[in-house]
Amino acid sequence: MDQFSDRIEALLERVQKAPRYTGGEMNTAVKPWDSVKLRYGFCFPDTYEVGMSHLGMKILYGLVNREPDQVCERFFMPWTDMKELMEQEDVPLFSMESRHALYDFDMIGFTLQYEMSYTNILAMLKLGRVSVRSADRGRDEPVVVAGGPCAFNPEPLADFIDAFMIGDGEEVTLQVTAAVRDWKPTGAPRRALLETLARIPGVYVPAFYDVKYNADGTVASVTPNCEAAPERVRKCVVTDLDSAYYPRAFPVPYTEVVFDRIMLEIMRGCTRGCRFCQAGMLYRPVRERSLETLRSLAMDLERATGYEEISLSSLSSGDYSCLPELIRALMKDMERERVSISLPSLRIDSVLKESLEETQKVRKTSLTFAPEAGTQRLRDVINKGVTEADLIEKVTDAFSSGWSSVKLYFMIGLPTETDEDLDGIADLAQKVVRCYFSVPKDKRAKGLRVTVSASSFVPKPVTPFQWCGQDTQESLKRKQAYLKEKLRAVKGVNFNYHTPELSYLEACFSRGDRRLGRVLEAAAARGCMLDGWSDLFSFENWMAAFADAGLDPDWYAYRTCGKDEVLPWEHIDSGIDRRFLRREYDRAQRAEVTRDCRQGCNGCGLQRWKGVCACADAGHV
Amino acid sequence: MRMLATFEKSERLRHIGHLDIMRAMQRALRRSGLPVAYSNGFNPHILLSFASALPVGAAGTCEVMETAMAEDVAPEDFLRRMNAALPPEMQLSGARAVDDRHPALMSLVRAARYEIRIRDAEAAEAIRTALPAYLEQAEIVTDRKTKSGIKPIDIRPLIHELTMDGGVLRTELALTETLSCKPSMLLKTLGECAGIGEPRALVVRTRLLGEDADGRLVPVEEL
Ligand code: SF4
Repeated sequence: MDQFSDRIEALLERVQKAPRYTGGEMNTAVKPWDSVKLRYGFCFPDTYEVGMSHLGMKILYGLVNREPDQVCERFFMPWTDMKELMEQEDVPLFSMESRHALYDFDMIGFTLQYEMSYTNILAMLKLGRVSVRSADRGRDEPVVVAGGPCAFNPEPLADFIDAFMIGDGEEVTLQVTAAVRDWKPTGAPRRALLETLARIPGVYVPAFYDVKYNADGTVASVTPNCEAAPERVRKCVVTDLDSAYYPRAFPVPYTEVVFDRIMLEIMRGCTRGCRFCQAGMLYRPVRERSLETLRSLAMDLERATGYEEISLSSLSSGDYSCLPELIRALMKDMERERVSISLPSLRIDSVLKESLEETQKVRKTSLTFAPEAGTQRLRDVINKGVTEADLIEKVTDAFSSGWSSVKLYFMIGLPTETDEDLDGIADLAQKVVRCYFSVPKDKRAKGLRVTVSASSFVPKPVTPFQWCGQDTQESLKRKQAYLKEKLRAVKGVNFNYHTPELSYLEACFSRGDRRLGRVLEAAAARGCMLDGWSDLFSFENWMAAFADAGLDPDWYAYRTCGKDEVLPWEHIDSGIDRRFLRREYDRAQRAEVTRDCRQGCNGCGLQRWKGVCACADAGHV
Repeated sequence: MRMLATFEKSERLRHIGHLDIMRAMQRALRRSGLPVAYSNGFNPHILLSFASALPVGAAGTCEVMETAMAEDVAPEDFLRRMNAALPPEMQLSGARAVDDRHPALMSLVRAARYEIRIRDAEAAEAIRTALPAYLEQAEIVTDRKTKSGIKPIDIRPLIHELTMDGGVLRTELALTETLSCKPSMLLKTLGECAGIGEPRALVVRTRLLGEDADGRLVPVEEL
């Protein structure tokens, strides 16, 4: 702490938002540096406010710190003003807890939540004085690992990360930290450790795989070059979520962060099978925590944090098997503490009127609905099992129960989309507005606000749309302008959309291959970082970086992949069968829906893994 | 019942704003399991007030707060449970039960003592040299931000005491709801007098003072 503390304190006088860097929050672990055998630096490649809102970080932070011989400390990406000062004053990236430099840690781990954080990883390594390329790291440098949803296509980061952890992190993280801890004092070379890691199920060591390319630039093969590395790396699955580790205390930031409340993960996975949704595929199968576990977690978390709000978190909270009971029980347990309960991701076909009325007693925020597409045909294409009648019914319920603010989420640029589908969006918005006015004036809340958000579709690995090229930027811009014009006519509606440039780059990296590491290096050299922040995002620099690397971004973003093409990430085994994805792709072209797999297994592939999906036991296969 | 307590805002937390510290204290009260009292009304909140808002950038070793309990609590228990619920950077140092007629803390504050460490040795030397001349001035006029714009203020009568010890200034400055000398005003004028501009410094408030029955300034928490 003392090595840099004075210099850090002096920097804090000169930066904006100094509280981002102060640390010292409630429930942050400071273990004596020399009392542990393994020091793990958890890095969130974005700002403090974003990182501190992230549930996965809280889980892993608690998990590692529970080990008596290990410590986990946090790192975030500093804002540009701080970063510049640190470079000027020769202060390395330091941890929030003990203010040790990144290079002092035995192991550092990045969580990969979105592609546009990749340059931050390079920037953080550099600022932390850790060799950016895996191949350049010496025996005493930290072992650099990464996990999270984007690890399912680890290839663009293959040059920089020593080992990826694929899938649920609760168990594999401790296997990896233990391996590093045990290797450290042995004096064995780095390669020996990497071989040990490659033998841990769910760990992918990219250096142990050779990638060959075809003349047309597509991947010809990915093959292990080391006996320790498996052909395919199978994702980790925590089969019993109820007994899996979940923290009973969270760090409590002083300043307001994006999600400043208790997050209670009630279930993991989703059975609905929306064809654009990567999380829906990656986190299969569905696993729930029991009501009793959740009540006990909620009570402990409330006592440990003092938060005023709990949000139930999952991909599809409405699908939790006993949601009304859970909400009722939590409300009763938390009455004395005056804790409010919020459901962030309501799906319009699963919102029970009953729970609506109960949450409303506590807090009346804006309600969110995600029809995703404007016509039934396109909703069938994407397998979003939501009908207009559903939406209208739920929205009417909401308006008559006192809500006046509704957010509608859509995607544009979806496969097979035409202008008719865009008209459908405007039409739905219009109908929602009419719903509001159909509720008698004395029964509805004042101040109607309908927000229509249209994001641009990005094809993602391990989804039925993984083969689809992205809609072009010109086309997306035209569609945005078209919708804007259409929605201008609808009173009470706000229209939100983003420039398609960011989505275009996301598409490049989400389906990208190993060669994109060169683009990341070039982009970092051109100063690209914090790209998720529109004020810092420079599309020109990114285009120049592609040119530097001699790669064509259009090829990555717009290309429709061949049916039999080897996709760059297929040596990572998500459990989802490529044939299932292809079947779903074909059904999408015909606008055929596929049932929710709680109604019967659709054979996504996980049924092949023993004891993983409950459907096998239920005999649904 | 009301509970009066003194607490630290450590040097590490000095950039955390007043409202954020308030919220952190409220959450600590919630964590403590003590029978905290909530306000009535639509949006109930914990009853908590601080004797004086500490400026962003300043630390405090003996800040004073007051909160209400729904049931009687022994001050020792309050202290113990709160310290278990607070991070090491924000510990309480004392607590005292007061009855409901006790005046609002904010109205009691008259002055505050500070220790101001000048970060740069050369600047400290220049200030030490300039100090006698600075104090000899009949008036020291500087700017004060008010709701109706920037106004001049003479801070000389508001400086009760000012000495220097090594690189550290020790001072007592008037602090009331209507008339105060902020440490930044002192530093700015002192820097100007020494011909170096406002020096970079660490400001630590060490005491909040109020007036006892005999008109003497004593720590607010003892009133
Ligand atoms: S194996 Fe069957 S039931 Fe299980 S997630 Fe896949 S499709 Fe659904």
